[in-house]
Amino acid sequence: MAVSTNRVNQSTGAPRRLVGAWWGPAVGASAIGFYATATAPRDEAGREIFFNVPAGSWAVYVFLAALMGLLVWGFVRHASLWGIGRPTPGLLRDIPSRLRNTARLGLAQDKVRRDRYAGIMHWSIMSSIVVLTLVTAQVAVEADTPLHFLYGDYYLFFSFYGDLFGVIGLIGVGMALYRRYFADFHRIRWDERLEDHLIILGLGLVLLTGFITEAARIQVTELDQHPDWAVWSFGGYAIANFLDLFGFSESQVLTFHEWTWWFHVSAAFAWLGMIVFTRLDHLFFAPVNAFFLRTDAPGRLAKIEDIETQEVFGVGYIQDFTWKQLFELDACVRCGRCTDVCPANIAGQPLSPMHLIQDLKMHLADVGPAIQQHRHETGEAGREVSTVALTGDVIKDETLWACRTCGACMQECPVMIEHVPTIVDMRRFLVMNEARIPATAQGALENLEMRGHPWRGTALERTTWMEGFDDVPIFDGTQEYLYWVGCSGSLVERNLPITKAVFRLLRESGASFGVMGQEETCNGDPARRLGNEYLYQILAQQLVETFKAKNVQKVITNCPHCFNTFKNEYPQFDGYFEVLHHTEFLNDRLHDGSLKATHAINANVTYHDSCYLGRLNGVYDAPRQILEMVPGASLTEMQRNLSKGLCCGAGGGNMWQEEVGERRVNQVRSEEAIRTGADQLISNCPFCIQMFEDGVPGVQPEEEGRIRPFDIAELLEDAVFGPDKREEPVSAGEPSA
Amino acid sequence: MHIVVCAKQIPDPETPPAAFKIDAATNKVVPAQGIAPVLSQFDGIAAEAALRIKEAGGDGKVTVISMGGESAQAAIKQVLAMGADEGVLLNDPAFEDGDSHTTAKVLAAAIKELGDVDAVFCGRQAADWDMGQVGLLIAENLGWPVTIIAKGVALEGNALKVERVLADGFEKTEVNLPAVVTVSNEFGEPRYPKLPQIMAAAKKTVTKKTAADLGLDPSEVGKAGARLQLQKLFIPEKGAQVEFIEGETPQEQAANLVAKLKADKAI
Repeated sequence: MAVSTNRVNQSTGAPRRLVGAWWGPAVGASAIGFYATATAPRDEAGREIFFNVPAGSWAVYVFLAALMGLLVWGFVRHASLWGIGRPTPGLLRDIPSRLRNTARLGLAQDKVRRDRYAGIMHWSIMSSIVVLTLVTAQVAVEADTPLHFLYGDYYLFFSFYGDLFGVIGLIGVGMALYRRYFADFHRIRWDERLEDHLIILGLGLVLLTGFITEAARIQVTELDQHPDWAVWSFGGYAIANFLDLFGFSESQVLTFHEWTWWFHVSAAFAWLGMIVFTRLDHLFFAPVNAFFLRTDAPGRLAKIEDIETQEVFGVGYIQDFTWKQLFELDACVRCGRCTDVCPANIAGQPLSPMHLIQDLKMHLADVGPAIQQHRHETGEAGREVSTVALTGDVIKDETLWACRTCGACMQECPVMIEHVPTIVDMRRFLVMNEARIPATAQGALENLEMRGHPWRGTALERTTWMEGFDDVPIFDGTQEYLYWVGCSGSLVERNLPITKAVFRLLRESGASFGVMGQEETCNGDPARRLGNEYLYQILAQQLVETFKAKNVQKVITNCPHCFNTFKNEYPQFDGYFEVLHHTEFLNDRLHDGSLKATHAINANVTYHDSCYLGRLNGVYDAPRQILEMVPGASLTEMQRNLSKGLCCGAGGGNMWQEEVGERRVNQVRSEEAIRTGADQLISNCPFCIQMFEDGVPGVQPEEEGRIRPFDIAELLEDAVFGPDKREEPVSAGEPSA
Repeated sequence: MHIVVCAKQIPDPETPPAAFKIDAATNKVVPAQGIAPVLSQFDGIAAEAALRIKEAGGDGKVTVISMGGESAQAAIKQVLAMGADEGVLLNDPAFEDGDSHTTAKVLAAAIKELGDVDAVFCGRQAADWDMGQVGLLIAENLGWPVTIIAKGVALEGNALKVERVLADGFEKTEVNLPAVVTVSNEFGEPRYPKLPQIMAAAKKTVTKKTAADLGLDPSEVGKAGARLQLQKLFIPEKGAQVEFIEGETPQEQAANLVAKLKADKAI
């Protein structure tokens, strides 16, 4: 089948690795340098360090000492604020993965490159700063240690790559200047500050004056005397030739050189000093935060251990965050990528992850020192110190409720901030400590407590879908798989056809499986996402015990939320099961031939990655492979797809909330699906399907012939059994016959 | 200010229709499998009203009383989690299968025994039988004034200002304490309990009382004392018969319809 090309990537969902392309210039330059120096030895080449500025030899150390002092002072000031947070469990677990993250995300900047332009710009600037710092360090070693190596071939090569990375740096600065001042680039203006201008203009100035200083020296010492040396410093050489045109006297040039040297050195140190006061601090914090990044499943929320003995539930005070959560506030560079991909923000709803992080950071700076002092004096937690409430004043309730927990923010964050756990921590406080919760979400939670499912008012039973089948096997421990239907698969009218489709396909594949029927109860996912960790733990513990008692080993779910909960979160309750989403299982069965998709469907489809199957669990391939095996189905991807896919709007308990804001997320996503021109919108999650059943009619007039949302199992059911063998699903809101 | 809230545990009104069954032999509802009974919604609202008065006054006490089996503890705990101070379960086989009169008698006896009660708040009706009598009959038993179907209740001096729901509007009344108030859904939603309170409620012990504890003779309560006799409990059969009215033109169809209605003596 045909696959259109606007996909981010063929397999992993990550943008293509471009490591070779990135380090290409550096490797290439080295090769040229080595070749040139090897073929033309010039042992006498070299230059006088601190030429024309003898005072520079001690001045740089004064600057350096001041800079180091500043950095240490800044670090201590930051660290003392992080210190008011709680201990962070497990930060040193799985060191190899953490080191890999540091290399891949911190140094190679995998996430930065998800925006190609910014990736090139940032790599240029970063590599230039790193290389030029090394260049300067070599000069210091040459000048002030017995080591003598800056002469001859190496000196010429050194001159070459110093200039090369100076130029690369200037290209990066140019790209940054273009985005900031000439392109109408939205996200960097959401929270633009003076420092943003100082950083980029300052760096440009440092690099330029570096070249000018070099040029002045070359003009006096090399241009006439050693043009074959001078040409290696190609940037300075070019400017020196330009300077030469004016016919200045040597003393004029020397005076000029002296001035530019001092300016360059002072500006460089001043710029580095900005690390302490500006977002330049990400230079240190980003790689460290990459090391701190969780190495377990991104879809897993932390368990509150010994919940019954907690003083406060969740985070309602800044000091109740872990210190890692406080640390990462400082890593934020206000790039706006998180907000740019946030479904709530895209729909004009009151959540911007970037502003949330920045607001927390400001709040920490405001109240942190007083809390710290209070701690120091009394040894108490100091929760009464702050007069503004973290939840309510600093972060509005509606902001916290707008989060879909879809993880798009975390996926994009180039400094590896984990927004979702931080947001859920505050929700936990709202729900458990304050009982402040939107009425409809409260209804879902009460329903979970009273009835073991979140679907208030459903007239269906967990066995309703079985009507018409007389051979639904009940799981008794002897079958290989438990088919977990889930509340949405059994109690919501629209989803019954999905459940039936999965059941028929499982049966057809010859799998040994059973269902739990009336005995199913919610696994707790909505409670956890809505912040009621206590209720979640009760439900989870019960179900883990039930699974163990029934000898459940392998579970197939048709809901990505159940899938994520069983797979990633039940191990927190000592529940280890092999968990498959039905797309994974069915894909395997199609490949091993036990299922055969023989009937042509002849439909244009588009595919929506649910967040909990795609982004948070990395299952992108199985559903697409199923689509490839459906004869006649032609896939057109949406603009946002794979790891950049947009949430349907239901995640994070928003299935049970009234949306606040300009638009509804499901309508935004429905529009994106409609734009593909497809006639079926295929997904893998009962919530997504419900959201689209609800969203499409609002944005596509009936006369146009609406795109119809189906679960991939429904499509496959057609392909396996024949299109006329499917029961027509009842559309949302329409009463059942 | 000591307010008693009467709370009843009922079969879940959201039981799916297919799971709702009646045992014809005993004339009783068969408890649906796997569907736990719940606190009657109106009683939760009565509890909310009582707790708001307690909180507005600063000092006060709310006691929740339920008559029922052991499982009714869950309903009591739910109101305790909302913030009530004490819970009393009136549990005696002799109380079973009574009517509104015997229920009110038992509840009133328990309220009398508590002694210092200033007001009794009930839901406007239990959400299972929907009779709406027990609140009135408690007042009768206690000899207190009663005001029913309240959408707003506030304490002012030694009286309650009560806003009542009428068929065609609202009525503002004032009733001197002690008094009985039944609270309607127009009052608003009951609160979502805070976790610290849920935990505190879990630790509280519910006082249990029998007929003997209340000085009631088994012959005057439960089935023995009931005045209401249940003849038959059944699920009405639903049916719809559709007949299409024939006719070539709309006028003819209308004429045929009128003729049909006249023949059936509907008009």
